[in-house]
Formats: sequence, structure tokens, C-alpha cells
Amino acid sequence: MHITYEALEHKPGLGQTLKEWIFTIDHKRIGILYLIGSMAAFAVAGLMALLIRIELSSVGPTITSNPGTYNVWLYFHGAAMILAFQIPALTGFLANYLVPLMIGAKDMAFPRLNALSLWLYWMGIIVALLTFVIPDSPDIMWTGYPPYSLKTGGNTAFYVFTVHLMGFSSIVGGINLITTILYMRAPGLTWNKLNIFVWSTLGAFILQMIFIPVLAAAVTTLLFDKYLGTHFYDPSAGGDVLLYQNLFWFYSHPAVYVILLPTIGIIFDIVATFARNRVFNYKMVVYGGIGGVVLMSGEVWIHHLFTSGMPDWIRIGMMISTLLISIPVGLLMIGLLGTLYRGAIQYTTPMLYAVGFIFLFLIGGLTGIPNAMTAIDLYIHDTHFVVAHFHYVMAVASTFAIFGSIYYLFPKMSGKMYSETLGKIGFFILFAGVNITFFTMFIIGFKGMPRRYYDYQQFAHLEGLQRIATIGAFIIGLGALVVLISWIHGLVAGKKAPDNPWGSKSIEWMTSTPPPPGNFSQIPVLSGEWHPYGYGRKE
Amino acid sequence: MNGHTSEHQLHWETSPWPLVLSIGILFLLPFAFSFYFVYSKPVMAVLSLGIGVPLTVLAIAGWISEGVGQKDEPGFSIAAMPLFIVAEAFIFVAFFVAYWVMRLGAPFWPPAGTPEISTGVPIIMTIILVSSSFTIHFGEVKMERGDKGGFLTWLVVTIILGTLFLVLSMTEYSHLFAEGFNFKTNSYSTAFFSITSFHASHVLVGIGMFICILIPALMGKMSKSFVKAASMYWHFVDIIWFFVVTQVYFWWAL
Repeated sequence: MHITYEALEHKPGLGQTLKEWIFTIDHKRIGILYLIGSMAAFAVAGLMALLIRIELSSVGPTITSNPGTYNVWLYFHGAAMILAFQIPALTGFLANYLVPLMIGAKDMAFPRLNALSLWLYWMGIIVALLTFVIPDSPDIMWTGYPPYSLKTGGNTAFYVFTVHLMGFSSIVGGINLITTILYMRAPGLTWNKLNIFVWSTLGAFILQMIFIPVLAAAVTTLLFDKYLGTHFYDPSAGGDVLLYQNLFWFYSHPAVYVILLPTIGIIFDIVATFARNRVFNYKMVVYGGIGGVVLMSGEVWIHHLFTSGMPDWIRIGMMISTLLISIPVGLLMIGLLGTLYRGAIQYTTPMLYAVGFIFLFLIGGLTGIPNAMTAIDLYIHDTHFVVAHFHYVMAVASTFAIFGSIYYLFPKMSGKMYSETLGKIGFFILFAGVNITFFTMFIIGFKGMPRRYYDYQQFAHLEGLQRIATIGAFIIGLGALVVLISWIHGLVAGKKAPDNPWGSKSIEWMTSTPPPPGNFSQIPVLSGEWHPYGYGRKE
Repeated sequence: MNGHTSEHQLHWETSPWPLVLSIGILFLLPFAFSFYFVYSKPVMAVLSLGIGVPLTVLAIAGWISEGVGQKDEPGFSIAAMPLFIVAEAFIFVAFFVAYWVMRLGAPFWPPAGTPEISTGVPIIMTIILVSSSFTIHFGEVKMERGDKGGFLTWLVVTIILGTLFLVLSMTEYSHLFAEGFNFKTNSYSTAFFSITSFHASHVLVGIGMFICILIPALMGKMSKSFVKAASMYWHFVDIIWFFVVTQVYFWWAL
């Protein structure tokens, strides 16, 4: 039944191999190229975070006396982490690699468009990296609020084009993936038998298709205003600065659900596999959890503008809708915990990351509730408290899911097993590091320290706490290094991986390891009883 | 797991064109724009265009020659085009939101500095665009009946009508520029030129799609599902024009 990978291998020369990688239109290789790009972005943006932390480790100028330089670090850290690392790692790498395998398809619906979205993303990375080459680096955070972004001497155009290229890449990828999921499922794979990850990717891409164009329009108007002299954001000529904030967050709040959905989807798959358990209340998770998040994600963006001068009736309405969205998210959490309940849990490295995700996401989610309430938010808005909140709930939680999924898929992608010991050491260092850094930031923020400040003379008494956070950041850096070493070690010295090392029931593990071109020697036909999470109590 | 055998792909499939197209786009848009508007280096901008335009055209040509006329064409274009249209529609939504925010916040409308904008030209443009929607539909009907000559004729008529629309648009722009009404004049000009030029760029893309159908069709290659998708896109451009013409041209007296 299986054709082995060796039988297919035709031992191409170096030139041929290079050609087969660079010009590839195969979804697995495109996924891996996405992964390389997003990890590169993660590394550079992570270095920026370290610079930011060193700068904040003492009152007064520490390693730069130029606040503009600090702004450039903040810009690159934010923009690269969100646009070039998280979204591409989840909707580029994971979705590309896993979805066709999970639905039993040979490839995506449009293999060439898939390659186009990959390379547009890489061009976006190039434009983003030019930040360090050009004299007038962009210094406008990842939000690019006017009027600062219009008045600054920094190069706003490169920010806009990074967003354009990556946004266009996501739209092309979204068209491709939605078409693939709708039309290319294997015979017998009905809607209620899709992996949660496939559902969540579908949800994420529906959001991308609707909301990215609004962001594209918003940054385009920024470009027009700054370089062509239009008046969208010029109050003296009838423009409105708040318009940009609204358009921007109309995309950028749903963007956190674009990140959350695939994250929680892959966590469901990891948890079900290693707990040897069915997904608790599958339909509730899919239709209530994922469906609810998709439906409600476009109605909460004003909570980013609670202090921007909005009428009270809008703020209170959006406060309620923001609090309400914790219901579908809560359903997802119940689903995760129910899947763990009475499971035969194996704490492998991916499972540790999944459990770590649940812990971090819970802290992040619960600290979101005070943020959502206008009365409290007026006090903690734009402080380190918010920074800590979104790092827990989005940045760190999703990064844990991404790392966990890389470990989970490591045997499938490379054909080798990683070292569990190294993997676990890396996990525990990271876990300690993120909690030291970001939990301290909650305290710093609650004591009133605003975000984005490069110096804090008025808050000199917080220096000790800031120093603890900086130490935590270095622990995170060390953890990331160990993780990288564990991957390289696995690639170089790992044992050969079997086809299904985790004993999963889902389709991606039915093919050989690593999957051959075309994925399956035969198109999988699934029996009526089959379910991706069909783990009986006793097998 | 049961299965039925299908032919195996025994090699990794490749295509250089997506990469070439991305590089072309990189030079065509971000680099050319930045050199011209940000760094004021027109020579470098022209050089960027000189790299970007040939790469883009080459990539599209190569892509089409690879993709059109495959034997086992899955025909997903018709399924994918509505998704693309949804995305495009939301860009227009954002621009219209921007327009109405400025307009409803203005003490009086149109703001000072707006000249008389002729109402005759947009009516003629509407007639042209609507009839082009009909002509491409006729072409599609001919294609379904297997009448290739009829299809090509209607396709060419559609391309001509689309081009006529763009020419009218350009003449109108040059009149307005001559009256001192341009991008920079006031909030109405901001919205007017952003929305109409963005719509015109969609007309241009539509014409580009039709040319990408016409040339291979003359050489005997055709993809029915791509033709249908392109025609769907053209109808979308037509529908958007209704919003543009009613809200930007005619509601300014309300």
C-alpha cells in the first residue's frame, strides 16, 4: 500500500535539487520555505526585543541615546513578529503543510498561486529587512498611526509596501486554501470528520479575505496622504485621523483571531493525539467555538480606541461585545480541557507545548477581561499591562503552539526523530523565561509605566522590576537557542522516524514519512466509522 | 484504509514563474514608487520599472503558456473568483467609508475649490461599461455553443469598450487637472480621485485578463473556467461602477 520515499528518490544533483526547491509548486516544500522565512523573521524580531529589553533595564539611556532608534526597534519587533512570523508561520507554513495532507488531497487547488503567495511573502520580508539598510528607517510601530506616520522623517512607504506584499500574499493563499478545503476533500471525508485544524484554518482565512483588504486600503490612504498629498487624515482639509485607527483595527483586531484560530486548531490536534482521546464535544468546538469567533471577530475593534475619544454608547457597546467574545473562546477552552479529561496523556515535547499553551492562554485571556472594561481600561490603557496581556494571549501562546507543532510535525517533515530530552529542556527554559518576563510586566504596567517609553525617569522605582523582565528576556533567548539546537540535532543525528510515530488516526499520518510528491500513493478512501479523533477507550 | 490506485507523480513539480512574478512586482511597485516619491531619484525609478515591467510580463506569459490548455484542468477558477471578489469588494468598502466619513463630517459639500463636474461623461461611461458587461456575456454564450469565432469577436468588442472607458476617464481627469482640481485640492478631490482611479485600475486589470485570454485563444489554447472567472470579474467591476457613479458623481448635490 505504501510506496516508500526511497523508492521515489531519484538522487538528483545539487543544481537539480536547488531548482526543485526554489521553483517548487509542491505544498509541502512551500510550507517548509514559509517556515524558514518565518523563523528568520522570528530571530531578527527577537533580537530587536532583546535590544528593547536591554534599553529598559536601567533608567536613562542605556545602549542608545536616540529615541528614534528605539522606535525603529519597536517597529521592527512588532511588524515582523505579527506580519512576518506569526501569521505566515500559522497560515503559511502550518496550513500549507498540513491542510492538503489532512484532507487527503494531492496538493492545493492552485499550486502555482501557492508558490506566488510564498514568494510575495518573501519579497515582503526583503522590504521589511531593508529597514536596516536605508537611512530613514520606518519608526511608526506596527500600527502606523497618523499624524506621526505622515510627519516623521522615516520611510512610511516601506511599511505600507510590507503590508501590501504580505497582505496580497495572504489573500492569494486564502483563495487557494478555501477552494482546496471546499472542493478537494478525500471521498468519505465529510464536514463533521474534518480535523479541528482544518476548520480553524478555514475560519482564519475567511477572516483574512474579509479584513485584510480593509488594512490594505488603510495603509494605501496613508501612502497617498504622505507622498501624493491627499487629505484623508488632514483635519484642516476635512480629513479624520480617527478614521485610520478605525480602519486599522477593523483588520488588526480580527488579525489576532487569524492567529488564534490555527493556533488553537493545532493544539486540539496535538492534545487529542497525545491524550488518546476524542475531541470533547466536537460540534460545540467547531460551530460554537470557531464559528462564534469568526462571526463576532469584526464587532470588537473599538476596544483598541477606548481612550481615543469615542462616544460612550459606542464604547459601552463594544465593551459588551468584547466581553461576549470570551464565550466562544471559552467553548474552545472547555473543548481542550474536556479532551484532556480521562485521556491517556503522554507528555512528549509537543504535548508539553500544548499544555503550556493552555496555561499561558488562560492567563492572557483572563487579563483581557479587565482590559475590555472601559472603566478599568482608562487606567491601564497603553501601559505595560496591555503589553503583558497581548504577549501572553497572542504572542507567546501562539509561539508555543508554533514550536509545539514543529516538534509534532518534525518526524513527518524531516523523516527523523528529534531528541525528547533537548526538546523538553528547551520547553522548560522558554516557559520559565516568558513567565518571568511577562508576568513582571503586568506588575510594572499596573504601577503605571506606559508602553513605548524608552526612558522612565518618573518611574525610576520600577527599575528593579524592569531588570527582572530583562533577565527573563535573556532566558527566553537561551530557550530559543536550545530549541534551535534540538532541531538541528534532530536533523543531523536523529533516528529514522516511522510513518506514524504518534499513533495518530488522522490522515496526514497515513502516508509515508516524509510524504512523496503527490502525498498519497492512493487517494485515501475513508470508511464510515473512521474519524480523525476516533480513539476508542481500549484499542 | 481502502484506496483506489491513481497515477503517481514521481517527481517534484516546478514552475519558475511565481518567483519571477514576485520579483517583478517587487521592482514594479515598492521599488519604483519609493525611488520616485520617497527618495526623488527618477532615474532609479525608471530603472526599477525597466526591470519590473519585463519580468512581470514575461512571468505572466510563461504562467499562461504553462497553465492554459492543460488536459486535466480542474476548473477551480470559477470557485475561486468569488472569493477574490469578496476581498476586492472590501477594499472598495474601506474607500467608501473613508469618503463618507469625510463627507458627513464636512460643514458643507462639496468643499471649496471644487469645480463643476460634468454629469454627461459619467453617463456615457456607464453606458459603455454596462454594454461591455453584455458583450462579454454574449461571448461566453458563444463559447458555450462552441462558436470560437463569435466568442473572439465579442471578446475583442469588450476589450475595445473597456479601453474606451479608460480613455474617457483619462480625458475627464485631464479636464479636471486643467481646472486645478487634482489629488491635493480638497477632501472631495481626495475621495474622488482615489475611488475613481482605483476603479479604473480594476478596469485595467480586467482588460489585462481578457488579453491573457485573447492571445492564447488565437493560438488555439483556451480555458473555459478562466474565461468564466474573468467575465465574473468584469461584471463585478461593472457593479462597483454603479456605486462609484451614484455616490461620487451624482450624490454631491444632495
